Amino acid sequence: MLIFTLKRFALAALILFVAVTLMFLMIRAVPGDPVQIMLGPRATPELQARLTAELALDQPIFRQLIIFYGNMLQGDLGTDVFSGRAVTQIVFQQLPFTLELIFGSIIWSAALGIFLGAYAASYPNTLIDRMVAIVSVSFVAAPAFVVALLSLLLFAVHLRWFPAIGAGNGFWDRMDHLVLPSFAIGLSWVGYIARLVRASMLEVLGEHHIRTARAFGLAERRIVMVYALRIAILPVVTVIGVGMGFLLSSAVFAEIVFARPGLGKLVIDSITTRNYPIVMGSVLVSTGLFVVSTALADLVNAWLDPRARSAK
Amino acid sequence: MKIEWTKTPIGRRKFLKGATALGATAALPMGFAGSAFAQESGTLRVRAYGDAPNMDPAHSVGVVEEEIHSSIYNKLVQYKPGSEWGWQLDAASSIEQVDPTHIKFALRDDIGFTNGHGAMTAEDVKFSFERIIADETESPNKPDMGPLSHVEVTGEREGTIVLNEPFAPLWSIALPYITGNIVSKSAVEAAGGRINSEPVAESGPYLRASWSPKEKTVLQRNPDWKGEAPAWDTIEVYPIDDENTAEIAFEAGELDLTRVSLGSVARYRDGVPNGGTLVENPSLFYVWLGMNLDHPKLQNQKLRQAIQHAIDVPTILEASYFGAADPSTGIIAPGLAGNRAKGLVAAEANIEKAMALLAESGESNVTLTLDILNKTTYTTMAQVIQAMLAQIGITLEINVLESGAFWASGDNENLQLVLNRYSMAPDPSYATAWFTSAQAGIWNWERFRSEEFDAIHAAASAETDTAKRATMYQRAQDLMEESGAYRFITHEATPVIHSSRVIPALRPDGLSLLRYFGKA
Repeated sequence: MLIFTLKRFALAALILFVAVTLMFLMIRAVPGDPVQIMLGPRATPELQARLTAELALDQPIFRQLIIFYGNMLQGDLGTDVFSGRAVTQIVFQQLPFTLELIFGSIIWSAALGIFLGAYAASYPNTLIDRMVAIVSVSFVAAPAFVVALLSLLLFAVHLRWFPAIGAGNGFWDRMDHLVLPSFAIGLSWVGYIARLVRASMLEVLGEHHIRTARAFGLAERRIVMVYALRIAILPVVTVIGVGMGFLLSSAVFAEIVFARPGLGKLVIDSITTRNYPIVMGSVLVSTGLFVVSTALADLVNAWLDPRARSAK
Repeated sequence: MKIEWTKTPIGRRKFLKGATALGATAALPMGFAGSAFAQESGTLRVRAYGDAPNMDPAHSVGVVEEEIHSSIYNKLVQYKPGSEWGWQLDAASSIEQVDPTHIKFALRDDIGFTNGHGAMTAEDVKFSFERIIADETESPNKPDMGPLSHVEVTGEREGTIVLNEPFAPLWSIALPYITGNIVSKSAVEAAGGRINSEPVAESGPYLRASWSPKEKTVLQRNPDWKGEAPAWDTIEVYPIDDENTAEIAFEAGELDLTRVSLGSVARYRDGVPNGGTLVENPSLFYVWLGMNLDHPKLQNQKLRQAIQHAIDVPTILEASYFGAADPSTGIIAPGLAGNRAKGLVAAEANIEKAMALLAESGESNVTLTLDILNKTTYTTMAQVIQAMLAQIGITLEINVLESGAFWASGDNENLQLVLNRYSMAPDPSYATAWFTSAQAGIWNWERFRSEEFDAIHAAASAETDTAKRATMYQRAQDLMEESGAYRFITHEATPVIHSSRVIPALRPDGLSLLRYFGKA
């Protein structure tokens, strides 16, 4: 397991390097003088020259890349042009908001999706199964931005049950502010996970060891919850790991629609203003998050299913 | 807990039981609704369209930061809320222009800085103003101070602003806007000469209590403020980029004031939710179609004039601004010296004249490219223009650009037509500054060059007679239009909605002066 873990994290580091390098090159390929865009029309030539030098934009691109990685390894991601604050401080100030949104969405959608999928698989081809199928596919088909806007209009404007904007202060207030955005971006995952668990569960429930367990007279609840579900959720773990990436992109629109702080909004604003240090800081952290989550999903998978450790 | 996996999960009784439980669960949050959204009577919640990370007036990048700065700092004079541009005393107890280049002022004796930086003195005024023009400050706002020479300190709280030459925008921009904010000399020097995201010392009626990046800025009443007490204990400023989100937040009762999209104006004219009010103000923005005079395809003046006359501005405004904005006659908005009552080319299209001009030009099979920003307003506008030019036989290709690429178009020599929109401060010189010959290929994307225009721009700033100044700027806009390089479209509008508990204090262009907001 240790070797598997080491190999997996080495691969994660390589993926991170490739992804960040690609982003670094892509942002520099975008047309427009970044310094002029960053500083606006009234910046003095002296200020423009100073910033160009500070960001090493007067250096060849390869040299810029080396400088970036050199600084990054020392934990220095640069300074925000506008506020003079350290990029690491800015990024890590926004990160918790995105993480709570992603985890909030994953937790409720996985809990409900697994429950619905397992329940439907326990009653295949019954009314319950069909109803769950209809609901699941409807959830998958519902575009997240439509869900976001409709839920805002219904639950925030009309019923006034939940707040429409912001992230809140204090634990309960933050939870309150998390309900609608996590509902909006998690809803399709409920359907997706439910379908996945149902299919996986049906396969597992037909296997020999389950039949043996039944023959031994074990309670159906124990068979389903312990023996079958543990195997049936393996694909879900993998999907959730990969899904972190999709949720990161969903978080962008959720942060805009619900006017929440977060990494997504930070990246969008920074790309528009060509604030390179913040763009790269945010990309590094979000890519790292994605790579680590997929690596962790693989590790959990391997822990749950020893066959995965030896898979070539 | 025992889970029974039965084969008959839903009977009538179970359904009713489940539905009752679901209903009860659904009803549960209603009990909290009142408390969760209770409005604190002393808290005003307003929307800004961006965040305000910088607390240094010398490096402020615009109105969003200025909304905060003007609440936590003082100026000699501030803009007066209302429908006409004007100023009123703030930190100055008196101010007087004794001659075209000397302005004497005296400070109030009851204004102090926080963090132990003492009373506001004339030295602070001198430091704040001279800091803006000092090269080492590298302030992008230096042009706003124009020909400021220095500030003479004549007493602890008295001084004289000395200009190198007369400067009319001193009263419309330099003193009441960004560069007019007075900072504490001792505090800024102690901070190494630069203020970043933390205000080092404040003096206004409000203090910045907290700033959560991308979430909100909280201002709280300054307990040591000796001037007229502000109406609100706390002001929360929410940076919300998307106007639709802001409108939803207002309707949900979470905002007291927000600018709304022009597309929503018709709906709000029929009634603003929660007993609110719609206030419609003109804006200072100016939108126009520009033509690059250096481009080989646009060398023919008759062709450019044909394009001017083929474009029907009211149709564009109906399609893109839902009839909520009026046609403009130039780059200087109504209410400012130099605004023209009428342009040389009527807002309405004259297709016959356009076709005649095109025939005179001798051009045929004309195909042009129009560069626009990737926003719905501009894509709609571009499509309408495309249809209009097709009427006279000109084919238009639309090139949609992301904001960074679009705003870097200044040095794009291949630029042909462009839909553009600039903002400005409330002085005509701020608008003409971008169209001088020196700006060609930088912010003068049309590469319009006119010695007369340049001379007017230089002379009008020094002209203190408002009527003469207005005539000069009107002539400047005539020159722009005569060149055929410009089709002026609109100054847009700033529609604002506010809740019934607020008496807003707005500039004539609809922007908030938070320190003057009242309670209904």
